[in-house]
Amino acid sequence: METKLSDLKPGNAATVIKLTGSGAIKRRIADMGITSGARIEMIRNAPLGDPVEFKVRGYLLTLRRSEAEGVIVSTEAQR
Amino acid sequence: MTVRVALIGNPNVGKSVIFNNLVPGARQHVGNWPGKTVEKKTGKYRYNGEEYDLVDLPGCYSLTARAVDELVSRTYILEEKPDVVVNIVDASNVERNLYLTLLLIELEANIVVALNQMDVAKSKGYTIRTERLSSRLGVPVVETIATQKVGMEKLKKVIETAAKSPKPASMTYPSDIEGLIEKLVTILSADTSLVTHHPARWLAIKIIERDKEVLEMIQGTPLDSKIEEVFA
Repeated sequence: METKLSDLKPGNAATVIKLTGSGAIKRRIADMGITSGARIEMIRNAPLGDPVEFKVRGYLLTLRRSEAEGVIVSTEAQR
Repeated sequence: MTVRVALIGNPNVGKSVIFNNLVPGARQHVGNWPGKTVEKKTGKYRYNGEEYDLVDLPGCYSLTARAVDELVSRTYILEEKPDVVVNIVDASNVERNLYLTLLLIELEANIVVALNQMDVAKSKGYTIRTERLSSRLGVPVVETIATQKVGMEKLKKVIETAAKSPKPASMTYPSDIEGLIEKLVTILSADTSLVTHHPARWLAIKIIERDKEVLEMIQGTPLDSKIEEVFA
Protein backbone atom coordinates (compact mmCIF):
# COMPACT_ATOMS: atom_id res chain seq x y z
CA MET A 1 0.00 0.00 0.00
CA GLU A 2 1.31 3.43 -0.87
CA THR A 3 1.44 5.94 1.92
CA LYS A 4 3.37 8.95 3.10
CA LEU A 5 6.56 8.39 5.06
CA SER A 6 5.09 10.62 7.75
CA ASP A 7 2.24 8.11 8.29
CA LEU A 8 4.50 5.23 9.40
CA LYS A 9 4.31 4.18 13.04
CA PRO A 10 7.35 3.26 15.17
CA GLY A 11 8.73 -0.09 13.99
CA ASN A 12 7.02 0.11 10.56
CA ALA A 13 9.33 -0.43 7.60
CA ALA A 14 8.66 0.53 4.00
CA THR A 15 10.27 0.97 0.61
CA VAL A 16 10.67 4.43 -0.89
CA ILE A 17 8.62 4.85 -4.09
CA LYS A 18 9.24 8.48 -4.98
CA LEU A 19 9.92 11.96 -3.69
CA THR A 20 7.32 14.60 -4.37
CA GLY A 21 8.02 18.30 -4.24
CA SER A 22 11.01 19.95 -5.83
CA GLY A 23 14.04 22.09 -5.29
CA ALA A 24 16.61 22.11 -2.53
CA ILE A 25 14.67 20.06 0.03
CA LYS A 26 13.97 17.24 -2.41
CA ARG A 27 17.60 17.18 -3.52
CA ARG A 28 18.77 17.22 0.07
CA ILE A 29 16.53 14.32 1.03
CA ALA A 30 17.82 12.31 -1.95
CA ASP A 31 21.40 13.23 -0.97
CA MET A 32 20.77 11.75 2.45
CA GLY A 33 19.98 8.38 0.87
CA ILE A 34 16.20 8.49 0.60
CA THR A 35 15.88 7.39 -3.01
CA SER A 36 13.45 5.11 -4.77
CA GLY A 37 13.97 1.52 -3.70
CA ALA A 38 15.63 2.37 -0.37
CA ARG A 39 14.34 0.55 2.74
CA ILE A 40 13.35 2.89 5.52
CA GLU A 41 12.12 2.23 9.04
CA MET A 42 10.28 4.62 11.33
CA ILE A 43 12.04 4.65 14.71
CA ARG A 44 10.29 7.24 16.86
CA ASN A 45 8.65 10.62 17.16
CA ALA A 46 9.99 13.50 19.18
CA PRO A 47 7.76 14.22 22.21
CA LEU A 48 5.54 16.67 20.31
CA GLY A 49 5.37 14.48 17.20
CA ASP A 50 7.90 16.47 15.21
CA PRO A 51 10.63 15.79 14.10
CA VAL A 52 10.60 12.09 13.30
CA GLU A 53 13.53 9.68 13.39
CA PHE A 54 14.05 7.08 10.65
CA LYS A 55 16.61 4.41 9.94
CA VAL A 56 17.81 4.38 6.35
CA ARG A 57 20.93 2.88 4.74
CA GLY A 58 22.31 1.82 8.09
CA TYR A 59 22.06 5.11 9.94
CA LEU A 60 19.54 7.24 11.81
CA LEU A 61 18.12 10.30 10.06
CA THR A 62 15.78 12.84 11.57
CA LEU A 63 13.32 14.68 9.32
CA ARG A 64 10.72 17.32 9.91
CA ARG A 65 7.24 15.88 9.61
CA SER A 66 6.60 18.22 6.68
CA GLU A 67 9.61 16.78 4.86
CA ALA A 68 8.51 13.20 5.53
CA GLU A 69 5.12 14.06 4.03
CA GLY A 70 6.82 14.57 0.68
CA VAL A 71 8.17 11.00 0.56
CA ILE A 72 5.85 8.33 -0.86
CA VAL A 73 6.58 4.83 0.38
CA SER A 74 5.19 1.35 -0.10
CA THR A 75 4.43 -0.81 2.94
CA GLU A 76 4.06 -3.99 0.86
CA ALA A 77 5.74 -7.10 2.32
CA GLN A 78 9.51 -6.83 2.23
CA ARG A 79 11.36 -8.17 -0.75
CA MET B 1 57.93 20.66 -4.45
CA THR B 2 55.05 20.86 -2.03
CA VAL B 3 52.28 18.30 -2.36
CA ARG B 4 48.83 19.76 -1.74
CA VAL B 5 46.41 17.40 0.00
CA ALA B 6 42.76 18.02 0.89
CA LEU B 7 40.82 16.03 3.50
CA ILE B 8 37.10 15.61 2.88
CA GLY B 9 34.35 13.46 4.32
CA ASN B 10 30.94 13.36 5.96
CA PRO B 11 30.67 15.19 9.27
CA ASN B 12 31.90 13.23 12.27
CA VAL B 13 33.93 10.54 10.47
CA GLY B 14 37.20 11.44 12.17
CA LYS B 15 38.59 13.91 9.66
CA SER B 16 40.02 16.23 12.25
CA VAL B 17 41.54 13.33 14.17
CA ILE B 18 43.35 12.25 11.01
CA PHE B 19 44.37 15.86 10.39
CA ASN B 20 45.82 16.14 13.89
CA ASN B 21 47.59 12.78 13.51
CA LEU B 22 49.23 13.80 10.25
CA VAL B 23 50.19 17.35 11.20
CA PRO B 24 52.67 17.81 14.04
CA GLY B 25 50.81 19.94 16.60
CA ALA B 26 53.12 22.93 16.64
CA ARG B 27 52.60 23.85 13.01
CA GLN B 28 48.83 23.65 13.01
CA HIS B 29 46.66 26.73 12.76
CA VAL B 30 43.03 27.52 12.06
CA GLY B 31 42.05 29.82 9.22
CA ASN B 32 38.97 31.26 7.60
CA TRP B 33 37.78 31.03 4.04
CA PRO B 34 37.75 34.44 2.41
CA GLY B 35 34.31 35.92 2.84
CA LYS B 36 32.87 32.72 4.27
CA THR B 37 31.97 31.77 7.79
CA VAL B 38 32.93 28.16 7.21
CA GLU B 39 36.28 27.38 8.76
CA LYS B 40 39.05 25.40 7.22
CA LYS B 41 42.14 24.11 8.92
CA THR B 42 45.49 24.00 7.20
CA GLY B 43 48.72 22.37 8.27
CA LYS B 44 51.94 20.85 7.01
CA TYR B 45 53.80 17.60 7.46
CA ARG B 46 56.92 16.06 5.97
CA TYR B 47 57.19 12.56 4.60
CA ASN B 48 60.20 11.02 2.81
CA GLY B 49 61.76 14.44 2.35
CA GLU B 50 58.69 16.00 0.74
CA GLU B 51 56.53 18.69 2.23
CA TYR B 52 52.76 18.17 2.31
CA ASP B 53 50.27 21.01 2.67
CA LEU B 54 47.10 19.66 4.22
CA VAL B 55 43.68 21.33 4.11
CA ASP B 56 40.78 20.05 6.22
CA LEU B 57 37.61 20.88 4.26
CA PRO B 58 34.24 21.34 5.98
CA GLY B 59 32.42 18.07 6.62
CA CYS B 60 29.69 17.47 4.06
CA TYR B 61 27.32 14.77 2.82
CA SER B 62 27.06 16.05 -0.72
CA LEU B 63 28.62 18.58 -3.10
CA THR B 64 25.67 20.63 -4.26
CA ALA B 65 25.78 24.33 -5.02
CA ARG B 66 23.04 25.00 -2.50
CA ALA B 67 24.87 24.72 0.80
CA VAL B 68 27.78 27.06 1.47
CA ASP B 69 29.98 24.44 3.15
CA GLU B 70 29.45 22.02 0.27
CA LEU B 71 30.12 24.67 -2.33
CA VAL B 72 33.30 25.69 -0.50
CA SER B 73 34.58 22.11 -0.71
CA ARG B 74 33.54 21.70 -4.33
CA THR B 75 35.03 25.02 -5.41
CA TYR B 76 38.26 24.23 -3.58
CA ILE B 77 38.66 20.92 -5.41
CA LEU B 78 37.76 22.39 -8.80
CA GLU B 79 39.76 25.58 -8.58
CA GLU B 80 42.68 24.78 -6.30
CA LYS B 81 43.05 21.31 -7.83
CA PRO B 82 44.79 19.64 -4.87
CA ASP B 83 47.27 16.94 -5.88
CA VAL B 84 45.48 14.37 -3.72
CA VAL B 85 42.02 14.36 -2.13
CA VAL B 86 41.78 12.08 0.89
CA ASN B 87 38.17 10.99 1.27
CA ILE B 88 37.59 9.80 4.82
CA VAL B 89 34.85 7.19 4.91
CA ASP B 90 33.18 5.90 8.08
CA ALA B 91 33.70 2.15 7.79
CA SER B 92 30.75 1.59 10.11
CA ASN B 93 28.47 3.41 7.68
CA VAL B 94 29.90 2.73 4.25
CA GLU B 95 26.69 2.94 2.24
CA ARG B 96 25.91 6.55 3.09
CA ASN B 97 29.55 7.67 2.99
CA LEU B 98 30.32 6.26 -0.46
CA TYR B 99 27.82 8.66 -2.00
CA LEU B 100 30.30 11.48 -1.45
CA THR B 101 33.06 9.25 -2.83
CA LEU B 102 31.12 8.86 -6.09
CA LEU B 103 30.59 12.64 -6.28
CA LEU B 104 34.35 13.11 -5.87
CA ILE B 105 35.00 10.60 -8.65
CA GLU B 106 32.61 12.64 -10.84
CA LEU B 107 34.69 15.71 -9.98
CA GLU B 108 37.72 13.83 -11.37
CA ALA B 109 39.66 14.37 -8.16
CA ASN B 110 42.74 12.23 -7.49
CA ILE B 111 41.23 10.31 -4.59
CA VAL B 112 42.57 8.17 -1.78
CA VAL B 113 39.91 6.60 0.45
CA ALA B 114 40.69 6.27 4.17
CA LEU B 115 38.31 3.67 5.58
CA ASN B 116 38.24 5.03 9.12
CA GLN B 117 36.66 3.74 12.33
CA MET B 118 37.46 0.16 11.33
CA ASP B 119 37.21 -0.76 15.03
CA VAL B 120 33.61 0.45 15.16
CA ALA B 121 32.80 -1.44 11.94
CA LYS B 122 34.26 -4.64 13.42
CA SER B 123 32.33 -4.21 16.66
CA LYS B 124 29.15 -3.89 14.59
CA GLY B 125 30.06 -7.23 12.97
CA TYR B 126 30.89 -5.83 9.54
CA THR B 127 33.48 -7.40 7.28
CA ILE B 128 34.72 -5.10 4.54
CA ARG B 129 36.54 -6.51 1.54
CA THR B 130 38.87 -3.56 1.18
CA GLU B 131 40.72 -4.90 -1.87
CA ARG B 132 37.47 -5.43 -3.72
CA LEU B 133 36.16 -1.99 -2.73
CA SER B 134 39.38 -0.48 -4.04
CA SER B 135 39.19 -2.29 -7.39
CA ARG B 136 35.48 -1.52 -7.87
CA LEU B 137 35.97 2.18 -7.12
CA GLY B 138 39.25 2.36 -8.99
CA VAL B 139 40.92 4.25 -6.12
CA PRO B 140 43.33 3.19 -3.34
CA VAL B 141 41.65 2.32 -0.04
CA VAL B 142 43.50 2.37 3.30
CA GLU B 143 42.03 1.00 6.54
CA THR B 144 42.53 3.31 9.51
CA ILE B 145 41.58 3.72 13.17
CA ALA B 146 42.49 7.37 13.61
CA THR B 147 41.78 7.53 17.36
CA GLN B 148 44.44 4.83 17.88
CA LYS B 149 46.75 6.21 15.16
CA VAL B 150 46.38 2.93 13.26
CA GLY B 151 47.08 3.08 9.52
CA MET B 152 48.61 6.57 9.50
CA GLU B 153 52.00 5.52 8.04
CA LYS B 154 50.22 3.50 5.36
CA LEU B 155 48.00 6.48 4.60
CA LYS B 156 51.02 8.77 4.14
CA LYS B 157 52.62 6.19 1.87
CA VAL B 158 49.48 5.85 -0.27
CA ILE B 159 49.12 9.66 -0.47
CA GLU B 160 52.74 9.84 -1.66
CA THR B 161 52.12 7.20 -4.34
CA ALA B 162 48.89 8.88 -5.48
CA ALA B 163 50.64 12.26 -5.73
CA LYS B 164 53.44 10.80 -7.86
CA SER B 165 51.21 8.88 -10.24
CA PRO B 166 47.70 10.38 -10.30
CA LYS B 167 45.06 7.97 -11.58
CA PRO B 168 41.65 9.63 -11.37
CA ALA B 169 38.88 7.03 -11.42
CA SER B 170 35.75 7.28 -13.54
CA MET B 171 32.20 6.02 -13.51
CA THR B 172 30.01 4.87 -16.35
CA TYR B 173 26.28 5.56 -16.29
CA PRO B 174 23.53 3.69 -18.18
CA SER B 175 23.77 4.17 -21.95
CA ASP B 176 20.91 6.71 -22.25
CA ILE B 177 22.65 9.01 -19.78
CA GLU B 178 26.07 8.40 -21.34
CA GLY B 179 24.56 9.40 -24.71
CA LEU B 180 23.39 12.70 -23.22
CA ILE B 181 26.74 13.29 -21.51
CA GLU B 182 28.56 12.70 -24.79
CA LYS B 183 26.40 15.23 -26.66
CA LEU B 184 26.84 17.83 -23.92
CA VAL B 185 30.62 17.27 -23.71
CA THR B 186 30.89 17.95 -27.45
CA ILE B 187 29.00 21.22 -27.06
CA LEU B 188 30.87 22.28 -23.91
CA SER B 189 34.30 21.61 -25.39
CA ALA B 190 33.76 24.57 -27.73
CA ASP B 191 34.12 26.89 -24.75
CA THR B 192 37.80 26.40 -23.98
CA SER B 193 37.93 28.73 -20.97
CA LEU B 194 35.05 26.89 -19.32
CA VAL B 195 36.50 23.43 -19.81
CA THR B 196 40.02 24.43 -18.75
CA HIS B 197 38.68 25.23 -15.31
CA HIS B 198 36.08 22.48 -15.00
CA PRO B 199 36.09 18.92 -16.33
CA ALA B 200 33.70 18.84 -19.33
CA ARG B 201 32.18 15.52 -18.28
CA TRP B 202 31.47 16.82 -14.79
CA LEU B 203 29.80 19.95 -16.23
CA ALA B 204 27.66 17.72 -18.46
CA ILE B 205 26.55 15.57 -15.50
CA LYS B 206 25.70 18.70 -13.47
CA ILE B 207 23.70 20.16 -16.38
CA ILE B 208 21.66 16.94 -16.47
CA GLU B 209 21.12 17.33 -12.71
CA ARG B 210 20.09 20.97 -13.27
CA ASP B 211 22.79 22.15 -10.85
CA LYS B 212 22.16 25.80 -10.10
CA GLU B 213 25.76 27.02 -10.16
CA VAL B 214 26.69 25.22 -13.38
CA LEU B 215 23.51 26.39 -15.14
CA GLU B 216 24.39 29.97 -14.15
CA MET B 217 27.87 29.51 -15.61
CA ILE B 218 26.52 28.69 -19.05
CA GLN B 219 23.57 31.06 -18.94
CA GLY B 220 23.87 33.78 -21.56
CA THR B 221 26.80 32.08 -23.33
CA PRO B 222 26.46 30.86 -26.92
CA LEU B 223 26.34 27.32 -25.54
CA ASP B 224 23.04 27.92 -23.79
CA SER B 225 20.71 27.42 -26.75
CA LYS B 226 22.66 24.42 -28.07
CA ILE B 227 22.40 22.77 -24.67
CA GLU B 228 18.65 23.39 -24.54
CA GLU B 229 18.34 21.68 -27.96
CA VAL B 230 19.82 18.50 -26.47
CA PHE B 231 16.98 18.37 -23.95
CA ALA B 232 14.27 19.41 -26.41
